[in-house]
Amino acid sequence: MFWKRQVPIAIVFITGILTLFGWFVDSPRFESFVNDDATQWYDIIASFAIILGALNLLKLQFLKIVKQKKDWQYSILAVVGFFFAITAGFFWKGANYIHINNVTANVSTVAPVIAEMEQKTIEQVLPLLEGADTYDVGHIFIIKGSAKKYFDELTASGVNAEMKEKSWGEHLLEEGTVFNWLFKYLFTPMSATMFALLAFFVASASYRAFRIRNFEATLLLLSGIIIMLGRVPLGSSISAWFIAYIIVLSAGMGANIIWKNRMTTFAVVTGGILLVTILGWISGWPVDKPGFLYLPVLQEWIYTVPNIAGARAIMIGIALGMIGTSLRIILGIEKSFMGE
Amino acid sequence: MKSGKKVLMYAGIFAVLFIIYYAFGHPFFNGNRLTMFVCVMALSVTILYYIARANGGAKIYLRTIPGLKAFDEAVGRATEMGKSVLYVPGIMDMDQVETVAGVIILGHVAKMTASYETNLNVPVSRSIVMEASREIVKESYMSVGRPDLFNDDMVHYLTDEQFAYAAGVDGIMLREKPAACFYQGKFYAESLILAETGNSIGAIQIAGTASPSQIPFFVTACDYTLIGEEFLTASAYLSQKPALLGSVKGQDMGKFIVMIAIVLIFILNGFHDLGWIDIDFQELLRVQ
Amino acid sequence: MDKNNFISIVIKLGKVDRRVIFLLIAVVVLLPLLFPIGLPIRATDTTQRSFNAVDALGQGDKLLLSFEYGPSTKPEIHPMAEAVLHHAFSKGMKVYIVCLWPDGQFMAIDALNAIAPQYNAVYGEDYVLLGFRPGGEAVVKGITSNLRKLYTVDYQNTLVESIPMMQGVNSLADFKLIFSFSAGYPGTVEWVQYGSDPTGVPMSTGTASIQVNEIIPYENAGQLRGVIAGMPGAAEYEALIGKKGLGTSGMDAQSIAHLVIVLFIIFGNITYFLERRRSEKKY
Repeated sequence: MFWKRQVPIAIVFITGILTLFGWFVDSPRFESFVNDDATQWYDIIASFAIILGALNLLKLQFLKIVKQKKDWQYSILAVVGFFFAITAGFFWKGANYIHINNVTANVSTVAPVIAEMEQKTIEQVLPLLEGADTYDVGHIFIIKGSAKKYFDELTASGVNAEMKEKSWGEHLLEEGTVFNWLFKYLFTPMSATMFALLAFFVASASYRAFRIRNFEATLLLLSGIIIMLGRVPLGSSISAWFIAYIIVLSAGMGANIIWKNRMTTFAVVTGGILLVTILGWISGWPVDKPGFLYLPVLQEWIYTVPNIAGARAIMIGIALGMIGTSLRIILGIEKSFMGE
Repeated sequence: MKSGKKVLMYAGIFAVLFIIYYAFGHPFFNGNRLTMFVCVMALSVTILYYIARANGGAKIYLRTIPGLKAFDEAVGRATEMGKSVLYVPGIMDMDQVETVAGVIILGHVAKMTASYETNLNVPVSRSIVMEASREIVKESYMSVGRPDLFNDDMVHYLTDEQFAYAAGVDGIMLREKPAACFYQGKFYAESLILAETGNSIGAIQIAGTASPSQIPFFVTACDYTLIGEEFLTASAYLSQKPALLGSVKGQDMGKFIVMIAIVLIFILNGFHDLGWIDIDFQELLRVQ
Repeated sequence: MDKNNFISIVIKLGKVDRRVIFLLIAVVVLLPLLFPIGLPIRATDTTQRSFNAVDALGQGDKLLLSFEYGPSTKPEIHPMAEAVLHHAFSKGMKVYIVCLWPDGQFMAIDALNAIAPQYNAVYGEDYVLLGFRPGGEAVVKGITSNLRKLYTVDYQNTLVESIPMMQGVNSLADFKLIFSFSAGYPGTVEWVQYGSDPTGVPMSTGTASIQVNEIIPYENAGQLRGVIAGMPGAAEYEALIGKKGLGTSGMDAQSIAHLVIVLFIIFGNITYFLERRRSEKKY
């Protein structure tokens, strides 16, 4: 019980107090511990903890396959994908390249071969070989066999060439390696696709949620429309006078709802249209004037004034909430995250 | 002496000692951060004061938060429909306060699911969160006397990668069709993906986050949303422990102090800009 | 067709399956990409301020870029990264790149491979990619205090001491401007809190649209010099530097998609009111 209760609370207290007050201590060694070492300890623990998660994932997927639960075939995909990524990252570099030693003596032989491998013209390759005695061909071969044709061509012409491999770590970034292929052609499109789903979900969520139910919902709707249109180039093409006419028509609708009188509604709408038309004609129908009706200006105001005010208030509240939660955790008042 | 007054007494003693220490050259203390130190101490003392008062028996009133009242309703609905409860504790690790808060709330939800004998599914994005969540869920089930219903695989790891995790959770939602979905923690862009998918399966959704940019998405797509500090104080509401309720009250008083400070400094800064006073409060409050 | 029938049809259309909405959105996004309209782009104040912050630097000035985004947000942030690189190289700045995200390194390499050759920029003399280091804000703190302790080698394992443009660069204070391309955590907020604010080095940023709400208070408070907000921001920046790129090409599609969403919202409200009126009449 001592090890499960008191020791963790003591560790949390000491670490919390050290980190909190460490920021006020004027000692480089202490600051270095708080700023660098403590966070690095956490990163190291989190990195090793990944093994736990990975084992859990594999266990569940394997069980699904073995017991042939519903949709077990997808678990095979999960397991194969997992091991393929591990292999590409840790075991199979797939980052072979040709290293040429005596370049200067064989420029005419070497240049066309390099040009073919790097998909450049000979004129582009020659300046790279100028003055260079050795050259690492930029093209990466996943397996040595694919480089055989070029390698044989070079060695047959008396060029001193050798097959080399990129070092561990470099193989992750180098274009053409297995890992890079995995990142570029599997991971990147899949991530981008999931993010792109947001576009569709925003449309369906907006359609469902933006209803004029009450005053606040109406405000949300109007500001949403203004910002959606104002932020894109289309918004800057919509004249402020067009917005003025829409306001006049909305005022007419409002007048009709309030007074339910045709003459009043007609007077409001006609008067409004006449006023806007006269003012527009006098000013020459500028697209961006009056500024308070121009969508980009309106959206900028909504963003920078009420939006920031609200965002700041929420951020201050959240900061205070975090202070409270952190204090409770450090002082051991909140222990449920340890399982109590 | 009442516990609240004790806290104030100790705070007063500390303040006097610190003033003496500061006057004598404050060795090892970074003088540039004095303002921040004073603010941290003031807020901490406020929170501790109200915790002490609450522990001493003072009644703390907190307003009703509909989202928290709906927790019971959501789990009950899942039980009636014979479906599971899905709990997503965010996508970040335990070094984020929001994740810790989300995991604490998981403990309360787990108690409900244990009592009602409802299935609970907790897919997580980080291994340390998996271990912590498992411990909490296990303890919750044991505290309600239903350790037989607990299963390690209730809490399972999917992936660290943000959108792969969103895809995994979406898959779980579409296949298992949980009746109640809880999103309590730190979220980023995947929040709307999760919430919309949950909406499409007809689940009741209760979200809670302190990520300001994700709050609007949850408000739009979920039935109930705990906004910012409502989420961070949820554990106090659900447990009704005096110490936790006291800390919420302390937070609120801290917010009140901040509001007064904003107005005061706004006025004093105006005086400075007009040249009536020399102290530049903006510079004084700058974090060094 | 009488009035009641018409109203019934409209109400029925209002209950359309969400997949129809998805299909329509897909069509309106695809068509402008295939048949560009070429809508004029007007820079907002926040983008203009960001541009001005970079433009204030001159030949040889040190610019620190930080890449913290991945493939998922690449369509939004990569165009602005390329635009800023165009701007920086065209003015002869020295560009130093760090990454707080591991994916950021791949993004930085892609951007550099696309832009640097256009200006005959030489690695080690005009730009250097120091690479990714784990630790989030600890990296920012490390760069702020002692960059050399954190980065002993660049992303190709070349010793930093042997890179010509690293001479005299020891900490954040040696840079004229910090520019963060950020899609989340760690990112802009951490750079402001632990880098720019404590040292006074000016900073600007480009973020995904979804994150702008969180960042705008910092810009408003003067802690950031402008924000490039998502793809529209990238298009605006491209317009300011006079080089159309990926950002501009996506603007037509985004404009039409936004318009269609607005029309959906208006239609949804019309059906909502018709339905409410009908149910009120029944009772």
